[in-house]
Amino acid sequence: MPAPPPDSLDRPAVISALRARIARMERAGAAEALAARGEDAVPLAPAIDSGLPWGGLPRAALHEVLAAEPGAAGGFAAMVLARAGGTVLWIAPEPDAWPPGLARFGLTPDRLVLVKAPREQDALWAMEETLRCPAVGAALLVTGELDLTAARRLQLAAEAGGVLGLLLRPDADGAAPTAALTRWRIGAAPSESPSRHELGDPAWSLDLLRCRGGRGGTWRATWHEGQASLVTEESAARRTPVRRRA
Amino acid sequence: MRRRFCRPPRMAMPSLLGTEPAEAEKASAAPAGGASALPRRVLAIRLPRFPVERLRRPGPVAIWAQQGSRRVLVSVSEAAETAGLETGQTLADAQAILPEVVLVPEDPAGDAAALERLALWAMRFTPLVGVVGLDGLVLDIAGVEHLFGGEAALHAEMRGRLSRQGLSAVVAVAGTAGTALALVRDGWGGIVPPGQEQATVAPLSLAALHLEPALIRVLQGLGLRSVGTVAAQPRPALARRCGAGLMRALDEALGLAARPIVPIRPPPEMAAARNFVDPVVTRDGIEAALDGLLDELCRALREAGRGARRLLLRACRVDGAVQEVAIGTGLASRDRRHLARLFREKLETLAPDCGFDRMALEAPMTDPLIGLQEDLGTAGRSERREELAQLLDRLSQRLPVWRLAPRASHWPERAMRRVNAFEAIDTLEGWNSRPRPVRLLRRPPYVGAVALLPDAPPSLLRIGRDSLRVTRAEGPERFEPEWWRDRPDRLFRDYYRVELSTGSRLWVCRIGFAEAGTEARWALHGHLP
Repeated sequence: MPAPPPDSLDRPAVISALRARIARMERAGAAEALAARGEDAVPLAPAIDSGLPWGGLPRAALHEVLAAEPGAAGGFAAMVLARAGGTVLWIAPEPDAWPPGLARFGLTPDRLVLVKAPREQDALWAMEETLRCPAVGAALLVTGELDLTAARRLQLAAEAGGVLGLLLRPDADGAAPTAALTRWRIGAAPSESPSRHELGDPAWSLDLLRCRGGRGGTWRATWHEGQASLVTEESAARRTPVRRRA
Repeated sequence: MRRRFCRPPRMAMPSLLGTEPAEAEKASAAPAGGASALPRRVLAIRLPRFPVERLRRPGPVAIWAQQGSRRVLVSVSEAAETAGLETGQTLADAQAILPEVVLVPEDPAGDAAALERLALWAMRFTPLVGVVGLDGLVLDIAGVEHLFGGEAALHAEMRGRLSRQGLSAVVAVAGTAGTALALVRDGWGGIVPPGQEQATVAPLSLAALHLEPALIRVLQGLGLRSVGTVAAQPRPALARRCGAGLMRALDEALGLAARPIVPIRPPPEMAAARNFVDPVVTRDGIEAALDGLLDELCRALREAGRGARRLLLRACRVDGAVQEVAIGTGLASRDRRHLARLFREKLETLAPDCGFDRMALEAPMTDPLIGLQEDLGTAGRSERREELAQLLDRLSQRLPVWRLAPRASHWPERAMRRVNAFEAIDTLEGWNSRPRPVRLLRRPPYVGAVALLPDAPPSLLRIGRDSLRVTRAEGPERFEPEWWRDRPDRLFRDYYRVELSTGSRLWVCRIGFAEAGTEARWALHGHLP
């Protein structure tokens, strides 16, 4: 029985190196450009980031946010957009983004540009153009159901441009397959304010429904506006088993 | 295949001009009075049958109009005229003379639009084209005649092109617009050598002066039947008797007073144009032509240290139709690829049909743009700003794009105003001190609410069919209407931030107080995070 050649390398190491190379090529160099700029994944909360394979919400990718409750989902999206930095484009059939609310998450009006796209094909075109532009920090598209091809196009555009893309959708049919890297469902949770006359800091329930190459999860988190931080409740954190991407 | 600007002269110089164009210019510099280095040369066109000929119908055609209780012909085609029809005839007479004549009701608005299109077409000769009345065009051709091989060749080409479009035209070239127009009004077509305006205009009939019919009758009653005889009269007496209008018309016709040309399009700051021997029909061909034009224009812009804010592509079709495509940029740009990309979205609107034989690219609006390093692969801040501007340009060609700037108003609908996407935003002091929804509902729905007291926060909300229990409430925040802006019957609003038992947070308001016997009106204005 012939022995393996003495110079044969560690097989798993070779494969992982090749995989990394393919990933670099697939992302059209955007990842390296981002790394060179010192911009890595957008942090959410320490407990959530540690569960994500990228250590946060990665740029150069598309993320879906299903709005189980419009207010909470809007707040979560505003937080991600604000933390992504740079100019943010808000594309919607009727853009109703309101800076007095957004600014409280750190998204100031000088960083916000609104685009009105009443027709779906215009909206997808605008989103794709935006995601391909490295001068943009993040882009949000308010949309309904999105077919897989369109979502895949957006994902590729985001990889090419290194822009973080968010799809804000109503929580209608969460089971449809997606080309986005992650899918979140954001709902509201009763806050823990002791008084009936004080709302206190808002609490959200975050469901990570899909995560390519990672595990899903459910968290209950409180947005502390004073410290501009999202704090998860350890007791409520429980991990759900891996759900494979469809 | 392509010829730019210059085309070889098709005709020999007529003996009328006698000299080379350059010499003619020198010779005419003296009578022009030295106001400018280049003497004025104006080409005037009169289209006597334009309303009927623009329809391009075969056979005898006539256009009629309702004048009081009569229907009379106002324009007849050449075929109809040879058969005996004439303007001023009644419709019944015309039909009796020539039963097969096609009668079309008049359409002055359509005529004016068609004349403007023709004026656009005439911009292939010179950028300064004006429309005069309902049937005339004036072109300032000073300094462009050499592109066509001299004045005479330009004159011949204009006549040839108009007749190929089926338009009968009188074309004259003279030193001033007034003279040229007077000549064509009287049906005199030709070229007036510099300095001979008065001698040429003198024998013309009074129709050349474009006067009121009553005034013409007065002059004819005095035995004055030509422009020359009128001009020979003592001016004070003439002015007293016939008014200043006659004197001005006379001076303009004789070239003594300047008549300005009002251009249909402001002359561009920069332009490039190409003529094609073979008409361009395909999309590829149009794009290639546009690339060439952009190349030329961007080079000129770079040399001038400027960037374009607006660009206009004017494509002239073989049949005389002119189509325009315009793009705008937020920041001045002379990046050829960027501008080509902006055009690419819009080229679909062009309909080449039988092909374009000329395309011109103009920059009607430019801004200074200096010290820009182009095509250097570094990602400095200014380059990213440039890239963002280019993205916003591309988006705004197709979709509305704007930014929101805070305004000093607490009324929620007025707290932000739309500004240009390229404008800088200043924030006001303390403009977002309270929790607010991230998205403001455009059409706030009315909701039902149950409150224990008229001015208490709601304890139950009814949205649609759902009854939702309120667990926490903050407020009220009262917003008074802005009396200097609002109508007087607008009511104040009391805003509450409420949390439902599900955890949802809403921004609801009570509009005014409850009237006796009615419930207070409540509205949902947004979802709080």
